[in-house]
Amino acid sequence: MGIIDKSRIYSPWLYHLHCGGCNGCDIETLAALAPRFDVERFGIQLVPSPRHADILLTTGCVPKQFIPMVKRIYEQVPEPKVVVAVGSCACGGSLFYDDAPDNYAILGHPDLLIPVDVYVPGCAPKPEAVINGVVQGILKLAEKRTKK
Amino acid sequence: MSTEIKILKQVLSKYSKPMTLTYPSTVAPDRRYSQIPEGLRGIPERDNDKCIGCRACYFVCSGRATSIYDKDAKRTVEIFLFRCTFCAHCQEACPEEAIKMTNKFEIAVPDREDPAARVLTDLELLKCKNCGTPFVTKKLADRTYERLMEKIDPIVKETVSTDYKKLDGYCPDCKRAYGVDFDTHTKKYVWLEGI
Repeated sequence: MGIIDKSRIYSPWLYHLHCGGCNGCDIETLAALAPRFDVERFGIQLVPSPRHADILLTTGCVPKQFIPMVKRIYEQVPEPKVVVAVGSCACGGSLFYDDAPDNYAILGHPDLLIPVDVYVPGCAPKPEAVINGVVQGILKLAEKRTKK
Repeated sequence: MSTEIKILKQVLSKYSKPMTLTYPSTVAPDRRYSQIPEGLRGIPERDNDKCIGCRACYFVCSGRATSIYDKDAKRTVEIFLFRCTFCAHCQEACPEEAIKMTNKFEIAVPDREDPAARVLTDLELLKCKNCGTPFVTKKLADRTYERLMEKIDPIVKETVSTDYKKLDGYCPDCKRAYGVDFDTHTKKYVWLEGI
């Protein structure tokens, strides 16, 4: 493992993608990033562009209008990347998604569009649960980096 | 003077405890987290011995996380945690108090099919004595009889209990079809109207 791989595992950058929904999970995720539950001690930093990110953190279920953006943002993240789905909406669709997806507005969970590596169920998950999910995401990232 | 105190306070605040909570917690060895608020609703847990498979949780589930399916004389009651909103409606609805909300919340899993993402209970189904189709769980049949006997009017208690035993083990369709043969038709309660 080269020095670049090592440093990128120790300090993965995170991009927060809000697909849709009630913003509950976003509030909890931001709490996890803020000083009280500080994920920055694991070297994680919030970045404003997906092109700089290693971890893509998605919240909420995907409305049909947002499908191209989700695909585009996922493609913009450089390889190897890890997708962490936070909240019940992002994991399984929850209240917004029917088993027969004939809804005119909502597609469902982002798993239908992009491969998700770690799921964090909860409505909304506690910041500590988000930290747990992100840490599992880092382990996956390390796996992917060493395999490369 | 007052400005000096202000400056002193500012300087001292640098040496106070940081507000970041430790993770995992170092507060006490048995406590993993620094803070769990009282009444936190975490993942639901089901007592496999208490559950009777009555579907009460299935009907109230708002996110359609609970699903019940019968297969090979076995009923499976499932809560899919990816769709669960931890609203505790199933806990309120459960007549046997089998479902309890815990305060566990760290359930990040890497896969949809992970067993940690599901709360499962398997129950045995009774087969109809006549046609052989599985129709109700054994526990639910027993519990129904118990509760019926608890609440029934003492005037009809004896008749109903004998009738119930005659019909015990037959599916609803067979009950309807052979009601006359069993001599369990409700017309025999007509005489009660005069009382």
